[in-house]
Parts: sequence; C-alpha cells; structure tokens
Amino acid sequence: MGRVAYARIGPNEDLVQSVEKLCVAQGMRHAFVRGALGSLIDACLERPDGACQVVRGPAVEIVSLAGEVRLQPDGTLRAALTGVVADTEGRVHGGPFVAGANAVCVTFEITLEEWLPSEDS
Amino acid sequence: MTEKATALPRARTVVHPGPYGPVRIAHMHADKGRHFRLSLPAGRTLHHSLVQALAAEDVASASMTLIDGELEHLSFCTALPDPAGRVLATYGAPEALRCARLIFGNATMGRRADGGPIVHCHGVFREVDGRVRGGHILAERTLVGRSPVTVVVTALDSFELRVAYDEETRMPLMRPQARAVAHG
Repeated sequence: MGRVAYARIGPNEDLVQSVEKLCVAQGMRHAFVRGALGSLIDACLERPDGACQVVRGPAVEIVSLAGEVRLQPDGTLRAALTGVVADTEGRVHGGPFVAGANAVCVTFEITLEEWLPSEDS
Repeated sequence: MTEKATALPRARTVVHPGPYGPVRIAHMHADKGRHFRLSLPAGRTLHHSLVQALAAEDVASASMTLIDGELEHLSFCTALPDPAGRVLATYGAPEALRCARLIFGNATMGRRADGGPIVHCHGVFREVDGRVRGGHILAERTLVGRSPVTVVVTALDSFELRVAYDEETRMPLMRPQARAVAHG
C-alpha cells in the first residue's frame, strides 16, 4: 500500500472526473476508493442496456461507493466508481456512476488508497 | 479520430447562497495509512463506540467502512431542498427504525470547531419488512444491536479532518487541514 489521500469535493464538480483529478493532483497512478460519502444534485447510473438512470434530487445521497482508478495505456487516468444512492425519500438505486453526469450538490468526502502494482499486474 | 457521441443527461448546476469558493477539490495526503478492524458492541451508539475505539488507538481523523451488523435503533434522515431557502439542501426530519440490518456504510471521523469528535456517516440498510433504504445515519442516536457492526478503519495520521463553516453552502463541512498540534 502506498499513500492515503483525502479530499473534499465542492458543489457542481463531477464525481468521477474529480476523483481522476485528485489522482493527478496527488501524483497517484492507481488507487482504490476506501471511503466516500456526500451528496449529488441528481445521480446518473448506467443501466445494463447502456442507457442512464437519473435519480432526481437535490439532493441524492451516496450511501455506498466502491471503485478504483487505473492508468490507461494512452497515459490517461480513468476512475470506475459504482455504488448505491438514496433519493429524497430514502429509496435506494444502484449502479456504475456515469462520468460527467454526477455533479456534487453540497460536499463529497473521498479517501483514496494508492496502489503500487508490480510490473506484471 | 471520430467518436460516436453518447447522449448523457444534462447535469444541472446549482447556485448556493454564498460566494463561490476558489478551491474546488481540497485535498491532503498521508505517506502511510494505518488500518484497524473494529467490532462495535451491542447497546452503545455508533458515535460512542467509534470515538472511544479510535481514541484508544490515538486516532483523531479516520475514514471508515462499516460492514453488516444489527442496529437496534436506527435514526437517519434524507436530504431535501430547504423549504426556508436559506441553504440549497438540508436534512429532513429524522426517521427512526427498530432492528434494521446495516448492509454497508461509510463514515469519517474528525473534529468539530470546538475540538470535540464528530462522525459523519451514510449507509444503506434493510428494514424488518425487507425493504432496503439508505441515508444520513445519525451516529449519536443509533444503537448497535445483537449482531456487532464491523468497521474497517483507515487512520489519517499526518493531517486532520475538521468541520468548519463553509461560506459557499452556508453549512458546517468537513475538510482536511494540517494538524493543529504535533504529537510529542
């Protein structure tokens, strides 16, 4: 295990891309999400057919989140985040978070653990 | 290179009541995290058990994953638009449940402005009738039941999490900052 980074992401910032930017800022190339909680304006989850399921807020709370960031062959960083959200009635919805469509509402706290893969992994 | 554009739902931009904060991603790192596993006993609140267990390990700030366990009494709320319009979103009235099963949760522990410990916790749980719901868990009002709650802790030792009033959102929010007092 490498370093541990914690971030507070502000309103209107995209969840998935902010996690990628956090890795850029911290100099991390691979990371696991260790803890995450906060709220989105609306949630956008990918459905099996590739369509988007939109859960309307504000605010939609993220109540479970797991994911990773991996360095891509072209040198870019890509976060894959999946989880469960609760709507304004407490009803839950789950799936992968669609990059560019999950803006933070009030605040989002996230902890990343750096992963230092061996050469052949 | 051309790529086929996929139609994403248009993300909405909200306007908070206060001035736009210049730092959008406030972040810090520790060179090494410490891991602990906790098993929270029956009859105590989540807040009390977490604060006491982490204090025993000399941990002031931590990020935690909560796995399973029974909640004899669960108090939680969901986020709603503020009817008074003072802030963009606020918490609704707390709901209380008996004997809910915690499925998964995440929590952070830090310090309030006055230095006291604070636990921020979101989770998803199953009600006695089988319905799965989730929300902001009020850790000070939630009692662990017969089946203990397992917690995996990542301690943040080289900086601290502190709640301070945020001008943009007009809410007290947790953010990372340099440790106020060095360990001697």
